[in-house]
This record gives sequence, structure tokens and C-alpha cells, in this order.
Amino acid sequence: MSTPPDLSQLNPDASFRGASNGEPLPAHASPTYYDRPLLKRPHWGWEVIVYLFMGGVMGGSGILAALADEDGDDRELARSARYLAFALAATCPAVLVKHLGRPERFLHMMRIVKFKSVMSMGVWGLIGFSLPAAAAAAAQAGEDGVLPDVFRYIAPRRLVGPAQALLGAFIAGYTGVLISATAIPVWAIGKRFIPAFSVCSGVAGACAANAAILALTDGSERTFRKLERLELVASLAELGLLLGFERHAGELGKPMYGGERGAKLRTWTMIAGIGVPSLLNVIPVHARWKTLLASALTLFGGYVLRETLIEAGKDSADDPKAAARQPE
Amino acid sequence: MGNGFFTDTTLCIGCKACEVACKQWNQLPADGYEFSGNSYDNTMALGGTTWRHVAFIEQTGGPETPPSLNKWLMMSDVCKHCTYAGCMEACPTGAIVRNEFDDVYIQPDVCNGCGYCVPSCPFGVVDLIAHADYTDGRHFESDGRNHDDATQTTGGIAGKCTLCYDRQKVGFTPACAKACPTESIQFGDVDELKARAKKRVAQLEARGVQSYLYGVDSDSSVGDLNAFFLLTERPGAYNLPERPVLPSTHQPAGYTSAALAAAALALVGFVIFRA
Repeated sequence: MSTPPDLSQLNPDASFRGASNGEPLPAHASPTYYDRPLLKRPHWGWEVIVYLFMGGVMGGSGILAALADEDGDDRELARSARYLAFALAATCPAVLVKHLGRPERFLHMMRIVKFKSVMSMGVWGLIGFSLPAAAAAAAQAGEDGVLPDVFRYIAPRRLVGPAQALLGAFIAGYTGVLISATAIPVWAIGKRFIPAFSVCSGVAGACAANAAILALTDGSERTFRKLERLELVASLAELGLLLGFERHAGELGKPMYGGERGAKLRTWTMIAGIGVPSLLNVIPVHARWKTLLASALTLFGGYVLRETLIEAGKDSADDPKAAARQPE
Repeated sequence: MGNGFFTDTTLCIGCKACEVACKQWNQLPADGYEFSGNSYDNTMALGGTTWRHVAFIEQTGGPETPPSLNKWLMMSDVCKHCTYAGCMEACPTGAIVRNEFDDVYIQPDVCNGCGYCVPSCPFGVVDLIAHADYTDGRHFESDGRNHDDATQTTGGIAGKCTLCYDRQKVGFTPACAKACPTESIQFGDVDELKARAKKRVAQLEARGVQSYLYGVDSDSSVGDLNAFFLLTERPGAYNLPERPVLPSTHQPAGYTSAALAAAALALVGFVIFRA
């Protein structure tokens, strides 16, 4: 008597052998069930796409707020990054609550701290980020005379800066971990790429958003050059990771890189969202229109990236062959 | 060990009594009247309000295949109640718990419908229940229930098999197993069921039928399944993953890659801004 085969013996590439006599089953065995989806499609719509995008810019702004040399050239950048990080931290929860099936129960997220759940970590990360973001923005408002003068002392720079940077990096990256830690084939296969390019896209988006704000208000030339350089590095890293992910994912990457969606990703994220702004950032022309154009393209490219990711996940769930062989 | 299901597909006759009993006991709305054209299966998949699904696999090898090798397989699918459950790990509210019977249970009054459990189930079992499923109301009109109440408590959250938590509480057999006329669905202590299932594999083997247990002594990251199956075809044929992967196993690589990217950019940023 032989024991029944365990799951590991059922290599999809090998012909199936049963427990009794080793004879393979007839070859006409259907590999799928009427090609019906094995997995369920994620229900996430525009709210989650917008949040992934806003979260990237928010986290990146937290990093910029800490990086900006406030006593040197980057006074205006420190101001814009602090205000932007706080403004996004204040609006993101509304978008997230809106996406819930039962929005009135959003507080249930806060009845538990769960390290195994990336979404729980994200909720607490967002709350954690909003505290130094609010303190830094209040201190800035105190300095700017918007709030009473005493507010400038509520956020010790040495404490709040690093907290914003650390939690900002988490906010920009955890969304990539969140979608990678699922059974959706195109997301799961991207666990080494999606979180990394989410961070890069977030930092590039934050550079773009803050450069645009400074272009519309006021900022030193040296700050613009710094933002351009950091945006260039982050964007090119993002492009490299996107191309690397396409190679790594192979057939499983089709929902993201194939067809119309892939064409949109190449046009609006890789070329218009990374290539063109990178060129604009290296040419030695310094003009307000250039900064605004490069920023708009970078930000739109970042949005298209998030939209592509989420929509690709839905199509990937519909592919039973990909779902039957889940990436380890 | 806890309670679970042993679904022996060689005994299933495709009567769908399990589907009906489940819908009726759990007061789940109907799936509508869509005709799939795929054998006798018009249910097509498990869902937020469909907690048993009988799959029909007709295998006819064409004119050259001897009739004895033509097969008609039926299998009543259900939530697997995994040892390491992807849905439960993903749930950010703690709505999904392991109850005293060792089964994975969604607390309907805690779930807020975030939807993260849906892509986190490697078997594609759990799904969100639309408000429309309940406001449609046809199901509730006949028994005089106020379907507004049903919407209040049930729409907009995640749904899946509870392994009849309420019936187990009072010592009843879950509705599907109770209704099954051939004991294809057996309910009981998981260890006892496993022992019985292994005997069944040996018995079938003696009769020349190849079979194996899906979800027993598994080396998959989801662990053993509290609702396991005796199958005679590859898992893919029943729309089951060949080797399910627990989604949280992707987290270390994910967090590491995010941290590396952030550290690298922070370093570059520091050099650009402060050096």
C-alpha cells in the first residue's frame, strides 16, 4: 500500500501520477475549470488608486521635510514639504474611509494592532506619520505667523525631522508590500520590485509636487537644482525597477505590461512620466514653465503607475492558469 | 484538533443539496438564473453569499478513448478553513478569527468591508457581499423578513462559509453535511476525518481507482486544510491551486525591498541636500 501523494508531488509540469499503480491519468484532463477565474478580483477602485498615489507623495514629502536644509538654501522647501505632508495626511484617511464597504465602521481598524496584516500596519503607520506631520506643520505655521508664535516650539526639529523621514519612507513603501502580500499572481511575483518602485515613485512625485509649489510661490535656485537631481535619481531607479519587473514577471506580468494597459504604462509612466521630466531636469534651462511641465508629467506618470498596478491585479486574478501556480 | 469537513469527491452525485441547504440555513440570497453552459454547473464559483459550490467536470477523451476512461467528476467545494489562513492574517480589524471549533470565522458585526481578505485568499473563496445582494429582497419577501435589516447587518462586508458556527454551537452537524445524501461531505473531528480519509484512499486503491487527499500532510505554507478533499484529478481541474501559497510569506521580501530603496534614496538625498 502506498501513501497518497502530497501537494508537493503534484508538479504541474509533470504528468499526474496517482497513488495506486503509477499509471498517468488520460492526457485530456483539463488543466483549468472551464477557464473560470480561480481567485477573486480585488474590489479596490479609484479611492485606493488615489490613496496609493497620494501616499507616495505624502511619504516622499516627509522625507523631503527632513532632508531640506532649513538654515541654508531650502527654507521654502522645508515649508512646502511640511504643509504638503500634513495636507495629504489630513485628506488620505477620508479617501480610505470612503473605499470601505461599511465606512461607518472605519474605527474598527483601530481596535487591533496586527503585525501580520500589512493593512493594519499601514493604518497605524498613517496615524503615526500624521502626528509629526501635524506638529511640523503647526510649528511652520507658528513661524509663518499663521498660528500664534508659541506653536513654533511644539516640534523640536531633531526629533520631528527623522520621525517624518522614517515614517514617510514606511508610508511610501508599505502600499507596495500590501499588494505584494496577496495571492494575486502579478502582485505576488513583484514582491522584490513593487515596494521598491513605489518608494522611488513616491520620492520622485514628492520632488515634483514640491518643485511645482515652489515654482508657483518662491524658492531658491539651489533648491530647484537639488530637487531636480533627487527626482532624476529616484525616477531613473523607478524606471530600472519597472523594466526589471517586466523581465522578472515574464508571462505573469502580461496584465500589467501587455496590451493597451502596457502601452499606457510605457507612454505615460515610462516615457512621459520619467523620460521627458528627466530630460527636462538635466537641460540647463531654468524656467517656471519647465518646472511645472516636468512636475505635472511626473505626477501624472505616478498616478498611471498606481492605476496600472491595481487594474492589472484584477485581470491577473481572472487568469486561472496563473493562479493555479502561485509564485512562492 | 478542531472540526472540519472531509469532502470525498468519489461519492458526490452532483445533487447540489449542500448548496441549497447552505443557502437556506444561512439565509443567503439566490445566485440568479444564469445558465453557464458548463455541464450542470450554473453556480460556477464560491462567493460572498455562495458557500458551497458543486463543480462538474466532464472528461470525454474523444472517439479513441475507451468509454471506461470517460469520467464525470463532481466535487462540492467550500472554504478550506486553512491552518494558516491568508484572509485571517490580512484582516486589519480582527474581524476574521479562529473560533473554538478551530474554524475560520468572519464576525459580521466587526468587518468593515476593506476588502483586503479577498485577494489574500489563495483559494479565491472569500468575497465582498454587495448591498444589492440583499436589497434585491426576493429571498426575504417570502418569509416576511424586513430586508432592510438584512442590508444593515450583512451588506458591504466580506462573506464566506462559517462552517455553520451557529449549528456547531448547539451540537448540530453543518447544514451541507447534514443534507448530503451520500456522505460525500463528512463533518467531524479533523484528525478522525483524516484517518478515515486515508483508509478511503487505500480502499479505492484496492479497487484500482487513483486518488489522493488535497490538504492533508501538506507542505504548502497554508498548512493542512480543516476542510480537505479526496480528489481523483489534478487540483487545477477542480479550480484549486496546485500548491497554494500563504500571501504573508511575501512580506519579508516586500518590506526588505522597500527599506533598501528608501535607504538608498535617503542616502542620495542626504548627499544632494546636505553635502
